Amino acid sequence: MKNTVIIDYGMGNVASVQKVLNFLNIPNIISRKHEDIEDAGFLILPGVGSFRQGMQNLRDYELVDILSNQVVHQKKPIFGICLGMQLFALEGTEPTLCNGLGWIKGRVIKIQDPKLRIPHLGWNNIIVKNDLLHDFQDQDFYFIHSYHLELEDANDLLATVEYGREYTAIIQRENLFATQFHPEKSQHIGLQLMRFFYSHYAEN
Amino acid sequence: MQKIRILPILTFNGFALVKTKQFQNPRMVGNPVQSARIFNNRGVDELIFLDIMASKQNRKINLNLVRDVIKQCFMPVGIGGGIQNLEDINDLLKIGADKVVIKSRAIQNPKFIDEASSFFGSQCISISIDVMNVDGIYYIYNHGITDILALDFILKMQDLGAGEIILNSVNNDGMMDGFDIDLYNFIESKTYLPIVMVGGGGDLTHYKNLFETTNCEAVGSSSIFYFTQYTNADIKLTLQEIGKPVRFSKQ
Repeated sequence: MKNTVIIDYGMGNVASVQKVLNFLNIPNIISRKHEDIEDAGFLILPGVGSFRQGMQNLRDYELVDILSNQVVHQKKPIFGICLGMQLFALEGTEPTLCNGLGWIKGRVIKIQDPKLRIPHLGWNNIIVKNDLLHDFQDQDFYFIHSYHLELEDANDLLATVEYGREYTAIIQRENLFATQFHPEKSQHIGLQLMRFFYSHYAEN
Repeated sequence: MQKIRILPILTFNGFALVKTKQFQNPRMVGNPVQSARIFNNRGVDELIFLDIMASKQNRKINLNLVRDVIKQCFMPVGIGGGIQNLEDINDLLKIGADKVVIKSRAIQNPKFIDEASSFFGSQCISISIDVMNVDGIYYIYNHGITDILALDFILKMQDLGAGEIILNSVNNDGMMDGFDIDLYNFIESKTYLPIVMVGGGGDLTHYKNLFETTNCEAVGSSSIFYFTQYTNADIKLTLQEIGKPVRFSKQ
């Protein structure tokens, strides 16, 4: 069975993802080595922190080209979490305008609502737009973010979350899928979602 | 719709979990790893673990113990105690902490919060604001009363990139006689940061009162979980009865 590689680009949180994969008996390693990424059956891009720092670290660790090759050309399944999802976009604005990985048409912009506390922090239910995820309709997941992904193509949207207005919560485009929330921090329902994504996308 | 968060606060003295009254007279209440496991099984929203003696005793938090506590938790965990520099924060995040809780260092050197939030992102940085009411004015308390006005300090933390405020009422801590409603109302409209209100929860009517008379979105508690039969589920049922959105975890 091919390994799942949790990509370590210095943006935190790899331990929690590994804990969950271990619990689900999904063989995995934490790595940034090219050979591990090439051999992987499934990739996970987690992340906590700023967009610009995330892209900087990906560049510093020489991961941009290999990931783009594996994901865009080899069509390797990849799961993005939180900042990981946001980095899939064309561009981000945290703290200032910068390029993302460019795999998903959209930009990452700040949540602006004077009536709301920022960051959007805590448990909130998702509004599923696609029958694929009907088991997860209205379930609460853990969110913690101040920026959100504004998609250009509505076909990429699988679920939203409401915080003042609806924001992107889950996206999917071919072999790419990602969540704004942290499934690895969302207890039972989070574990269930990760198991679902893995069996649906990685075990084929 | 965003749900109200109910957080157990685990306070540790370096050896065991303890519970204070008005930040004094800690008494032992249990074992951190065991407590974390129980709270995880109960499906709590989040957990905060604080080594309340680390800074005072000039030492770091025990990373091996923290690792064992985090291992029990499949929900977000905030860890605090003796954080002095970026390396301390990195050590905690690497072993799985989702947030770090900083207090003493933020008071000694507020610029550190700017450094920390720039490096790790605001969402990892929570500030513990311990507040004492002296003749109707709220001051910061740090192993003793300071002359720092609580509101000024909170706004400074907000400007420097903090992601969340843990607002502790020293006067109400451990008294199990209700929350400091005035404190919450005083602070809440002046900051856009998420606030966890802590101190004074002793029975279900206290939570009903807090959520009926304020816009509180998150509450932290300790005594009620150690000294009464009430669990986080009981508190949530009470809140649900008054029409507040709460999360019940699937077990």
